[in-house]
Amino acid sequence: MSTTAATRPVGVDIQESETNRSVVEAIEATNEGCTVQHMPGLVRITAPGRLVVTRESVEERLGREWETHEFQLAIVSYFGHIKEWDDDEIVIAWDH
Amino acid sequence: MTIAPKAPRKLTMKQRYEALTRDLDWEPSYVETSEVFPYTEFEGIKIHDWSKWEDPFRLTVDAYTKYQAEKDKRLYAVLDGFAQSQGHLSLTEASYLNAMKLFLQGVTPLEYQAHRNFAYLARHLNGPGPRFAALCQSIDEMRHTQTEIHTLSNYNKYYGGFHNYLEQHDRVWYLSVPKSFFDDALTAGPFEFLIAIGFSFEYLLTNLLFVPFMSGASFNGDLPTMTFGFSAQSDESRHMTLGLEAIKFLLEQDEANVPIVQAWIDKWFWRGYRVTALVAQMLDYMLPRKVMSWKEAFELYFEEQMLGGLFQDLAFYGITPPKHVEHAIAEKEVLSHQVYWTLYQFSHAAAFTTTFPDAEAQSWLSDNYPGTFDKLYKPLWDKEARNLEAGGRHFVRGLPQLCQVCQIPMLFTEPDDPTTICQRHSEYRGEKFQTCSDGCQWIFEREPEKYVQAWLPVHQIYQGNCGGPTVPDVLAWYGIQEGDGGEYKGSLDAAHWARWHDAADHSHIGSEA
Amino acid sequence: MAVNSIGTYDFPSRSRQELYGDDQLVHVWFQENMWFCASACFRAPKAMTWGDFWNGLLVPYAEEDPDFDPGARRVWTLHGEVIEPRDDQTLEEIGVEHKDVIGMRVLA
Repeated sequence: MSTTAATRPVGVDIQESETNRSVVEAIEATNEGCTVQHMPGLVRITAPGRLVVTRESVEERLGREWETHEFQLAIVSYFGHIKEWDDDEIVIAWDH
Repeated sequence: MTIAPKAPRKLTMKQRYEALTRDLDWEPSYVETSEVFPYTEFEGIKIHDWSKWEDPFRLTVDAYTKYQAEKDKRLYAVLDGFAQSQGHLSLTEASYLNAMKLFLQGVTPLEYQAHRNFAYLARHLNGPGPRFAALCQSIDEMRHTQTEIHTLSNYNKYYGGFHNYLEQHDRVWYLSVPKSFFDDALTAGPFEFLIAIGFSFEYLLTNLLFVPFMSGASFNGDLPTMTFGFSAQSDESRHMTLGLEAIKFLLEQDEANVPIVQAWIDKWFWRGYRVTALVAQMLDYMLPRKVMSWKEAFELYFEEQMLGGLFQDLAFYGITPPKHVEHAIAEKEVLSHQVYWTLYQFSHAAAFTTTFPDAEAQSWLSDNYPGTFDKLYKPLWDKEARNLEAGGRHFVRGLPQLCQVCQIPMLFTEPDDPTTICQRHSEYRGEKFQTCSDGCQWIFEREPEKYVQAWLPVHQIYQGNCGGPTVPDVLAWYGIQEGDGGEYKGSLDAAHWARWHDAADHSHIGSEA
Repeated sequence: MAVNSIGTYDFPSRSRQELYGDDQLVHVWFQENMWFCASACFRAPKAMTWGDFWNGLLVPYAEEDPDFDPGARRVWTLHGEVIEPRDDQTLEEIGVEHKDVIGMRVLA
């Protein structure tokens, strides 16, 4: 089976916690068509082709400043390729 | 009054990362580059431009230390709370800890070995980007070693099997499986190590290895393990990235690297997959409260995400799914049953206990393995039930044949026949060598001069190198004490557990031993 | 292909026969019997007779299986061929070499 990078699912597993609830909500709001699944201790979010975490949307829900580096405290695992990680956003997508 | 606008950051993440890596690197002027970096050519890998390797995390020293310190603070807060509240009493059952004994004995020492080899990469890779990523990973691996030891030391106060894991890792038969796997990687060149551990282990198989342990901890009341697990896994996502960057970088640098990398993927997928056999039985048999079956975990984390996701991406470079992957897929129906049946009959020589799966456990196995459990394995357990009733307990009175490559007892069956043991024979310099599968045989025959050196525990016992000729001699040499291994029912752990839970007065807990 | 290495790569086998003196390792494969999870590995003198090998090593190991019947008719194989060892033959005479696998199957 051959799939394209545009639609092949990517995903991230996030530790379930108070702070991370805002991160999960932000990802849900930013990524149309994503699926959220609750597993023991974690939340798994998958999306076709591309998944984006933006600083702005997390800060909006958290009510405080949030550096994208802070995402390291939330992430447990992922699949896909981290294409971008800068001050404003994190992008997980396949290259090919 | 006006509120002053927030001062703009002096440098962006990108600029800071550039400053740390590129600007702190230099070209040697009075020695040859090959003298400074002597180990990056002999494997045949061609690199034309090291600056093309960039760490997407763009970590700098300040950001790294800040977040790692925060992770540690959170973990130690949980550990303190757990110890102060007698948290070990809220586990589902003391037998759950067998999974953790296996983890401490089998996995924690590997974290330390990973620390060592990533420190070596941090010195010996030519590019400043990968050097810094390897340095961070080296420190991470040391942190994992320490946090795992600290976490599980809480159980060592009350339960058997935790007290001599380091020496056991170097000596005990079933621990030679993870040890020899990692030794194989440590003795390879830097690029092969990156594909072996950074890519195959950390990216391809990490979810199969760690998520089952952590979810098992979560379901079975083991808060500290779950916390260290997630704390370690958050670093793991950085390690996965290093592994994926490594492979893409090698493939993009030169077309001649493609077949070399492919052969390493073929080898290291199978090596790593064989180690996960220990995880398979843990998930299906050792957890009192089940999370998911091995089959389900394999389908989700490997077939769906790796074969369906990653390898589609790597196809662009001409990389194909690993050799012998079809055998791993075929084995998902039988693997955990065969491995647990083996550990069950050899646990008198182990630092963990096993027990007969009760009716509820067997019905779960039957539901999750409708094609194989009732037909192939239930009859064995039925026979063992009769054996137990007659006062027996299936412990093998001798030593098994081991695979020359993975060092697991030769318990695996033919890919198309789950009732016939797979025996593969090779000869090298007039000596016979047996392997457990086409995968291990292919690995042996590719580099026989490496695997003839295998320290096979059974052969070493017969050569007289393991404390003496009798089972008690060998167990003493292993540092296995009364209460560490054997049958769980009636064991010291089981007796203590029952006493602690029945007693009205808990003041004596921990003072039994 | 050979190991890529930074120097001469030539090491002896850690399981070679000379490490066992006059003995050798012998594997016995319990075919069509899943009770024993894997083949057994024994250390036995090359000059040990088949009778001693059977009574002294194999039976004590195999009788842990509650269905073990020492008198059952068995088919033995070595190097892919059926063999019919006699009790007075030594392992060497039977053709058993270091780390060989002897197949053992009970006839129904």
